[in-house]
Amino acid sequence: MSDRSHVLPAPEGEYFENTRFAGLSILCGLIGLVGLVLSFIGAYRSPVQFSYSWLFGFFFFFTLCIGCLFWTIVHHVVDAEWSVVVRRQLENIALLLPVLGVLFLPIWFWRAYLYRWMDVPRGVDPLLDAKRGYLNWEFFLFRAVFFFVVLTVLAYLLRRFSVRQDHDGNPQFTIWMRKAAFVGLPLFALCLTFGAFDWVMSLNWHWFSTMWGPYIFAGTAGSSMALLILVTAALQRAGYLKDVVTIEHYHIMGKWLLAFTVFWAYIGFSQYMLYWYADIPEETQYYIVRNTESWNVLSWFLVIGRFFVPFAILLWRATKKNLTWLCTLAGWIVCMQLLDVYVIVLPALHGTGVHLSILDFLPLIGIGGTLAFFYLRIVGQTSLFPVRDPRLIESLRLTN
Amino acid sequence: MITPSGNRVYGMAAEYPSAASLYEAAKQVRDAGFKRWDVHSPFPIHGMDDAMGLGKSWLSAVVLVGGITGLLTAAVLEFGPSSYLYPVIVHGKPTNFWTVPAFFPIMFELTILFSAFTAFSTMLTMNFLPRWNHPMFNWERFKRVTNDGFFLVLEARDPRFSENEARELLERTGGRHITVVHEE
Repeated sequence: MSDRSHVLPAPEGEYFENTRFAGLSILCGLIGLVGLVLSFIGAYRSPVQFSYSWLFGFFFFFTLCIGCLFWTIVHHVVDAEWSVVVRRQLENIALLLPVLGVLFLPIWFWRAYLYRWMDVPRGVDPLLDAKRGYLNWEFFLFRAVFFFVVLTVLAYLLRRFSVRQDHDGNPQFTIWMRKAAFVGLPLFALCLTFGAFDWVMSLNWHWFSTMWGPYIFAGTAGSSMALLILVTAALQRAGYLKDVVTIEHYHIMGKWLLAFTVFWAYIGFSQYMLYWYADIPEETQYYIVRNTESWNVLSWFLVIGRFFVPFAILLWRATKKNLTWLCTLAGWIVCMQLLDVYVIVLPALHGTGVHLSILDFLPLIGIGGTLAFFYLRIVGQTSLFPVRDPRLIESLRLTN
Repeated sequence: MITPSGNRVYGMAAEYPSAASLYEAAKQVRDAGFKRWDVHSPFPIHGMDDAMGLGKSWLSAVVLVGGITGLLTAAVLEFGPSSYLYPVIVHGKPTNFWTVPAFFPIMFELTILFSAFTAFSTMLTMNFLPRWNHPMFNWERFKRVTNDGFFLVLEARDPRFSENEARELLERTGGRHITVVHEE
């Protein structure tokens, strides 16, 4: 309703004070550094466990960051109005993807422990030989580089245009961002799907799932929306965005959380049910490992915790409009994403049951601390929301 | 209320120049304490529920009941024959509760189907639809409502309704072409 726009003037930009949170930034950096150093000490003691634990930590944060890139792209593609005020945080988190590109290096160095298919000679495994055209080291490396280059360029461009619009308010940048988003949407889908194939599905190269891309995507989109809720709420708790983000925005984010809770269950169940019903050994091996021994407990916990609990709670409008409930649920969903990635990655190593190692936590803390440190560096560089976006007023005056 | 010429009065209506002015007018009418009144616009206006003081619709509660009915219908229709009346082992799957993954698609779909039917029929009932005509169509200008017209009508059955007060309120909120609308 553009004819109400004269009522509210565009606010001045709001800036995160780096100096006020310098302590927090240094603390995150230190925690990250200590986590990384301890991880690499662990890497020399038990390289196999380290490689899987690192992949677990890396892939968890990869899904969160690429999810924020997804929401930025979707914002521009569908010409969304409500999300203008929270878009800058999505752009900031998506800009952590190049950092993750550097943190991918350990997977490269320790690849021999993770991707055993790289060492199987030709002629030994006919199933693998049939897949050699895709599963070979040169192409694997090319794809990894391609993914990170594409994702970095996309994240950088979308944020760069948005920040330049902060200075002069030129609506041309909105058009450019939309064009970049249209190119970026299929590229994002390719990167996430084949990244999921390469890094986690190929841990067991006999197994395959055509649902794998959507399954990873469902968890990615849901948990990154949960992360956005937490980041926005944290910024508000710190005194920012007070008159910018209202409960109406949280209500919409809560609706997305509910939508992707259902979508995750839909995709996860579709994958499970077809394998369960067809009962072909080549396909069921993934679930046989995860639905037996102590992994079965975690699988059940995931189904209940990632779907039934958030679904039952988020179904009510009152919980989506209550910040305490919503933040609790968002935190819970991020934890469930962590569990999801854990149940995806670690059974490939410990097929006989859950085997928690201290190394499972160290890369997680190391990567998480590093990303938090870089996020706190990035967040202060620009206004906390796009000050001169043409549709800022509509977003500020949002009502459901 | 009946006019001197003997026509029953439906209410007093006014036209507004924009969605925004209709929105502001609705807030004033709500605060004036009217209960029987309505707004008409070519498209849904965000926030109009609050501006009219409507509160939460009870449609969602009815739809929840419809959805649960669909879920239970599917469960009974599947478990009844497959587990009790005529249990047959198909494809090595059990006939007890743990065959439930095979039944989920039907449960899911009947939940959606029953919810959709319930939502549709309850929506019609709540809106007193279908109906042949509406008194508002007696007003020539009202035909713009599907194009670019924004209207507000105070109904005569509202206990607070009186011709002078209604006209004064509509004028104060910026209404134009204020008109008495007849029932037939």
